[in-house]
Amino acid sequence: MNSPHELLPSTRREFLKTGSRGIGLLAFSQFAPSFLVESIAAQAPRAEKDRTILVLVQLAGGNDGLNTVVPFADPLYRRLRPTLALPQEELLRINDSFALHRACAPLHKLLTEGQLGIVQNVGYPNPNRSHFRSMEIWETASASEQFLSTGWLGRYFDNACSGLPEGTPYGVNISNEVPQSFLSEDAHPTFSIATNNRGGRGGRDNTALLEQLLQSPELTNHDHDSNAGYLRHTMMDALVTEKRFQQVLSRYRPGAEYPGNSFAQSLRNTAALIASGNETRVYYVSLGGFDTHVNQGNTHANLLTTLSEGLAAFQRDLTSKQLDGQVLTMTFSEFGRRPNENESKGTDHGTAAPLFVMGSRVKAGLHGKAPNLDVGRNQDLAYSTDFRSVYSTVLDQWLGCDAAKILGGEFRSVGFL
Amino acid sequence: MPTSSFSLTPDQAWQPLPLNEWNESAVRHLLSRLGWTATAAETERTLKEGPVAAMRRYFARLPSFSMPPLVAKIEEETPEIARQVARGDESEKRMARRVARERFREGLFELTIHWLQHAAKPENAPAEKWLLFLSDVWVVGSEKVRNPVMLYQHQELLRAGGLSNYPLLTKALSRSPAMVQYLDLQQNKASAPNENFARELFELFTLGEGNYTENDIKEAARAFTGYRQQTGKFSFQRRQHDSGRKTVFGRTGAFTGDDVIDLVFQQKAAGSFLVREMSRFYLSEHTLPAAYADGLGAWWAKQDYNLGKLVVAFFTSRLFYAPEFRANFIKSPIQYYLGLMQDLSLTPPPLPRRAIASLRQMGQTPFNPPNVRGWVGGKSWINSATLAARRATANALLSPVPEALLNGDERAALRAAGDIGDFTVRPERFIEWAKLSSEECARVMVSLALPRRINDARLLASVAELIDDGSQRRDFTLRAVLATLLESPDYQLC
Repeated sequence: MNSPHELLPSTRREFLKTGSRGIGLLAFSQFAPSFLVESIAAQAPRAEKDRTILVLVQLAGGNDGLNTVVPFADPLYRRLRPTLALPQEELLRINDSFALHRACAPLHKLLTEGQLGIVQNVGYPNPNRSHFRSMEIWETASASEQFLSTGWLGRYFDNACSGLPEGTPYGVNISNEVPQSFLSEDAHPTFSIATNNRGGRGGRDNTALLEQLLQSPELTNHDHDSNAGYLRHTMMDALVTEKRFQQVLSRYRPGAEYPGNSFAQSLRNTAALIASGNETRVYYVSLGGFDTHVNQGNTHANLLTTLSEGLAAFQRDLTSKQLDGQVLTMTFSEFGRRPNENESKGTDHGTAAPLFVMGSRVKAGLHGKAPNLDVGRNQDLAYSTDFRSVYSTVLDQWLGCDAAKILGGEFRSVGFL
Repeated sequence: MPTSSFSLTPDQAWQPLPLNEWNESAVRHLLSRLGWTATAAETERTLKEGPVAAMRRYFARLPSFSMPPLVAKIEEETPEIARQVARGDESEKRMARRVARERFREGLFELTIHWLQHAAKPENAPAEKWLLFLSDVWVVGSEKVRNPVMLYQHQELLRAGGLSNYPLLTKALSRSPAMVQYLDLQQNKASAPNENFARELFELFTLGEGNYTENDIKEAARAFTGYRQQTGKFSFQRRQHDSGRKTVFGRTGAFTGDDVIDLVFQQKAAGSFLVREMSRFYLSEHTLPAAYADGLGAWWAKQDYNLGKLVVAFFTSRLFYAPEFRANFIKSPIQYYLGLMQDLSLTPPPLPRRAIASLRQMGQTPFNPPNVRGWVGGKSWINSATLAARRATANALLSPVPEALLNGDERAALRAAGDIGDFTVRPERFIEWAKLSSEECARVMVSLALPRRINDARLLASVAELIDDGSQRRDFTLRAVLATLLESPDYQLC
C-alpha cells in the first residue's frame, strides 16, 4: 500500500484536479461524496473557528478516587487503607487537607498554573456497582433506575448541533468502540479512529482497498436508490472524512512532546484534528485498566502517570497553538472504589470519585464537597455532587445549549467555569 | 416493489425451483438468506443435498436451547422477588425493585450471550433465524418485559410451535406471560377492556391494516379479558372475563379469545399476511405485491396453516431465487455479527461490552426491538454511526482481545467460559496465510469474505496487488485486507 490516500480527493479542488486524470470517481459521479455535491450547489458555510470544544476522557474500570485526590489530613484515610495509603511526604499538596498522587506531578503543575479544576466526590443516588451498568448510567446520564437508549452527547447532537458543514462528524471518538454517550435519536455522522492510530501505517489504513471495492463494476450497475448504491454513498462519505483526517493526523506537528503510549497518541490526534480547524465539537478518548482489585499500588501509579503526562502534553500542545481557550477536557469513570482496601492489596467497586476538568478557562482548584470518610466497615462514600450537575455545567456554560432539555431536568451547576 | 420489476409472473412465482437452476450461486443465496452467511463447507454440503433434503435437514425440528443457569436461578427466585417487591414501606419496596431489576439485567445479558453462541453454530442458524423472524412478528421487548425468564419462555413457545399449526401457535402466544405484560393484557378486564393486544393481534401479528374495523378490535378486546400473568405464569381470571356476546368479522357469539383467533384464520388476509412478512424479513424491504403474496397465502391456508410447509414452499420457490433478489439485501446487525462469527470460525465472547454493546451500536439489541412493530430493516440499518460500528465490530474480531483493558468481571467471565472456541481470529492464522503467494492469499481472503465474487478476476488481482505491498509483516497486511473486505458495502449485503 504505497499511498493509501491518494485515490480519493478530500476537497473539491482536488476532486476536479484528479477527476480529469480519470481516477474512477467520475465513473460513478452520481455517488460522489455529499460534500462535493454540496459545495458545488452552494458555498460551504464559513468555519466558525471560535467554537468551544469538549474533550471527554473515559477512565474505564473505576478509578480509585481516594488515591488520586488524597485526603491525607484525615486520620480515617490511613485507617481505611492500612497498606495502600500513600506516604504523606510523597504527595503533591493542593492545600492542607488534600493532595494529588505523586504520579500526578504534571497535573499538579497545571493546577498551580491555574488550568486544572477538580470536582470532588461526584456520583449519583442509588449507585450501581456493575461496570457495564454504571458506565451506561454515566454515558446516558440516566438516573440509577432509569434506562435510556440515547447518550447525553447524542442528545446534545440531536438538540443543539445543527449547522455543521456537510461531512463534519458531530462527535469523534478515539477508542475501539463507539461510545454509548454518542447514541442519538436521529442519525448524525460521528467518526471513530482506532486507538493505535499513529497517523501513518497501522490502525486502519485499508482505505485504498475499500475505495477499489467501492468502484467495482458489480456495484456501479446499481442505481442510487438501491441498497448497494446507498451503502456505497454512505461509506464514501465516511471514507472522505477518514482520508481527510488521516492527512491531518500524519501531517500534524505538535507543539509539545507526547509520550509514545496509545493514550497520549489519542490525545495528540485529538489536538491534530482541533488544530486543523475541523468543526467537530465533541471528542472522546479512553484510557482503560482502572479496575484495580489486586496489588493496586504500582498499577494505579502507572495509570495516573499515563493519564497525567498525556493530559499535560495535550494542554501544552493546545497552548502552543493558542487553542487552549477553546478546549475543555474532562475525565470521568464509571465509579470510584471502596474506601476500605480489600484483602488483596487492592480495592473493590465503589461509588463517588473526583473528576478532572482542564483548560485555560476553568476555575482552578477544588470544587464541590469532599467525601466524608466516616463510613462503616466496607461501606461506600455518599456522593456530594451529582454527575449530571457536572454535565449540566458543561452543556450550559461551555457548549452553550439548554442542559435541562438534554438531561431531562434541572441540575445545579458546579462553579468550575 | 412494482409488479413490473419481477422476472416471474405470479403463477410461476411459487413453483418449485427447477433442479437445473440449483447451483453454487443459488445455494449461497439460500444460505445467506436462510441463515447468517454461506460458508464454503455448508455451501458444498447443501449443494450436494439438493433443496428439499437440505430444507428437511434444517427444519427437522427447531433445536432445543436450554435455559441459561442464571435465568434458571432467577426463575426459582421470581416468587421471592415478587414478595420482596410487595413488602415493607415505600423505600424498602424501591430498594427491592432495584435489586430485582439488576438481577434481571444480568439474566438478560446471559440469555443474550447464550443465544448468540447457540445461534452462531452453523447447524442452528436457519432455525434460529426463523425464530428471530417469528419474534420480529410476535414482538415483546426487554425494555418492558424485564424478567429474562419470561423472554426465554416466549421464545420457547415459538420454538415449540414454530413449525406446526399457526393458529395453535397464535393461541399459545396470546397466553405468553411476556406478551400479556408487553401488550397490557394484564389491564384488560370486563369492566374496562384494554384494546392494545387485540389491535396488534389484527394489525401487526395476523392480518395487517385494512382487514378489520375499529369495532372488530373493540369486540375482540372483550374476548381477551381475564388473561393474566403472575410472576411469569399465565392464568385466566374468569371473573375478569367478559363472557357476553361479541360481533367480530360479522360473526356473533359469546366468543373466547381462542374463538377470535379461529375467526382470524378464516380471513383471506391471514394467509398472505405472514407471506408478506416473510418476504420483508428474508427477501426485500419492498412489500411483496398482493398478486404474489395471495397465491402462496391461499395455498398455505389450505395446508391447515402449517408453518413447516410454508417454510419449505417459500425457500424452494422460483421467486425466492429470482435474480432481482440476489445480493441486494442489507444484513441486519445480528446477521452481520453472527455471519462474521461463522465466516471467521469464531464464537461470541461472554463479554457484554463486546458482544451486546457492538450489536446495540449497530442498531439491533437482541430481545429488544424498538417497538411492537419490530425492526424496520433495510436502509434504516445504515447511517454513518452504525456503519462505523460495523467497521469497528469487524476490526475488533481480527485482533486478540486486549486483556489489559478487561475489567475483573470480564476476566472472570472468560475464565468461567472455558474453551468454547476462539473469540477473535488467532494471529497464527494470519501468519499461516502469509506463507502463501499473493494470489493464493487473495483467493483465501475473498473466499472467506466474499465467496460470491471468487471468480471476479479484477477483484482478485487488486487484492493480490494490495497484499504484495513489500511489507515485512505480511500477516499485518493480510489482517488489514481482510478487515477491508469485511467492512466493504459488498459484505453488508446478502
